[in-house]
Amino acid sequence: MTTALIADDEPLLREALMRQLAKAWPKLEIVAQARNGREAIELFELHKPDICFLDIQMPGMSGVEAAQVIGRRAHIVFVTAYDQFAVQAFAAGVLDYLVKPVEPARLNETIERLKDRLAMTARAINSKKLIEELNCQLQNSSSPEYLSWLRVRIGIKVHVIAVEDIDYFQSEDKYTRLCWRSATETFSEGLLRTPIKGLLPQLDPNQFVQIHRSAIVNLSSISHVIRGQNDTGTAYFTGCNKTLPISRAHFSQFRTLL
Amino acid sequence: MNTNRRLWLHIRFTALFSSGLGYVVDLIFNYGVPWFAFRTLAVGMTALFAFEVFAKWPVKNMLGIPRWVLQVLAVGCAVPLTTLVLWSFATPLKEWPFWQSGDRLMEFGFVTFIGLLVAPWMALGVLVRQKDAFAREQEVAFELTRSQLERREQDARLQLMQAQVSPHFLFNTLANVQALVDTGSPRAGLILRALTKYLRSAVPRISQDSLPTLHQELVSVRAYLDLMQMRMPDRLEYSVTGETATEHIFCPPLFLMTLVENAVRHGIDPSETGGRIDVDVRRTGSCCHISVKDTGAWNGGKTHGTGSGLKTLRTRLKLTYGKKAALRLQYIEPNGFLAELEIPAEHEPA
Repeated sequence: MTTALIADDEPLLREALMRQLAKAWPKLEIVAQARNGREAIELFELHKPDICFLDIQMPGMSGVEAAQVIGRRAHIVFVTAYDQFAVQAFAAGVLDYLVKPVEPARLNETIERLKDRLAMTARAINSKKLIEELNCQLQNSSSPEYLSWLRVRIGIKVHVIAVEDIDYFQSEDKYTRLCWRSATETFSEGLLRTPIKGLLPQLDPNQFVQIHRSAIVNLSSISHVIRGQNDTGTAYFTGCNKTLPISRAHFSQFRTLL
Repeated sequence: MNTNRRLWLHIRFTALFSSGLGYVVDLIFNYGVPWFAFRTLAVGMTALFAFEVFAKWPVKNMLGIPRWVLQVLAVGCAVPLTTLVLWSFATPLKEWPFWQSGDRLMEFGFVTFIGLLVAPWMALGVLVRQKDAFAREQEVAFELTRSQLERREQDARLQLMQAQVSPHFLFNTLANVQALVDTGSPRAGLILRALTKYLRSAVPRISQDSLPTLHQELVSVRAYLDLMQMRMPDRLEYSVTGETATEHIFCPPLFLMTLVENAVRHGIDPSETGGRIDVDVRRTGSCCHISVKDTGAWNGGKTHGTGSGLKTLRTRLKLTYGKKAALRLQYIEPNGFLAELEIPAEHEPA
């Protein structure tokens, strides 16, 4: 008898798929129901089903990550509410997928294909490479271009600060000191565990500029710059009497920006 | 400038100028008591009175004479008339009328001449200044409305951005509705109703009959949380407290929803065990404190689209309230996130 596992974090949707499968493929036995990727793998190892129906977006471990672990030990059918990912792999017909809410006709097609594959080969054909590709797409869709929020620990609190509120970053040994102003124009300081070098590429270069080996400033918080000797200078900030030196190496670059 | 302040300014200026002019004459002729200063003061004030009266009266402009002509003419007439009255009454009983006394006739002539020379011109000057000021005021007012309109338009555009219902959310919810309908569950109606309520706020509203209120926002937030709880009954608990005090407070659409959606998307969704979300609204004086607290996972990099909704919210806050609103975000140890929003408790948009 053919066995299957269903993984979905929403109970109603698990039940719905069970019901539909019971109708369309009465001989299929659902041996396990998982609520997330981690459970799916545990239950897979326990029951070793022939087929896994995996929801793509699940808490903790996603369906795609679970599929990577399961590999070719089972036929995998992805279930998704919205196929924003992975269109090519699916379109090529290599990976099976269902869109929620599941259409009976579409489910029958999938069942036929699964039956064929089960009859033909002992091993599943879901290629590792394709699943990896899928996983990459899933991860990439969430990476923003530049940082817009920073976590800063002050005492026991971890504040989340909008990057555009930050006046400057200043290097302090392995750490970075940053100064920002809140909506009510009060100034605060905090320490970041990231060194200033690692921070620079994550900041929007149109807004943040390095003015010294040890300092990065927000251009919109600078009120004026006073030129010193030998192509150096001093940057003044609006609303506070703090100043920062501009080194010779960074002055020319800074000047072209202003 | 308001009318009262302007009137006081005119009175002070006229008083100083006219009495000053008279006092100079007093000094030149070495009179012990500054009679002249009193008289010129009286002339100045009468002229000003005429000027101000004709600025308002007649209400309807008759004869087609421009108002400024009327005002200047009034000032021109007021000066010799007042001088005449003053000098007539200032004559002691048993003396000759002043026009038969050389000295005092000369005084009369002098004051009339100077008055006629100075007063109408001054009136004209004031009128020109008033016209300029009026134009400037209009310009400022126009600029203000324009910037207000621009801000509203910008906010509308941002709102449109924020109002994009996540297709993933929508289709998952519809799959739930489908499942409930297929089994004939009575909960199908509930979930559908909650979805409708949520969509009404999440879909951009092009025109709005009434101002959006915090109350409306809380209704949609409740609907959204109801919906999510029906979808994941084992993973989400929530509470919404303190609605009563906030019934009519103005709140642009999606301000609160963004925070709640974030708590679900980044706190509850990625967590295997889920958590709870507490929404609290309270009012202290003219300030409204809103807090959205969750006990979810918030495991950083793995969440999708982190921060873009909050970024838009920040921009919208600045556009709507300037520096009068604040948004504070912080992680809670060991699990969770707290978003605090402070907005002015206004009944009208700024």
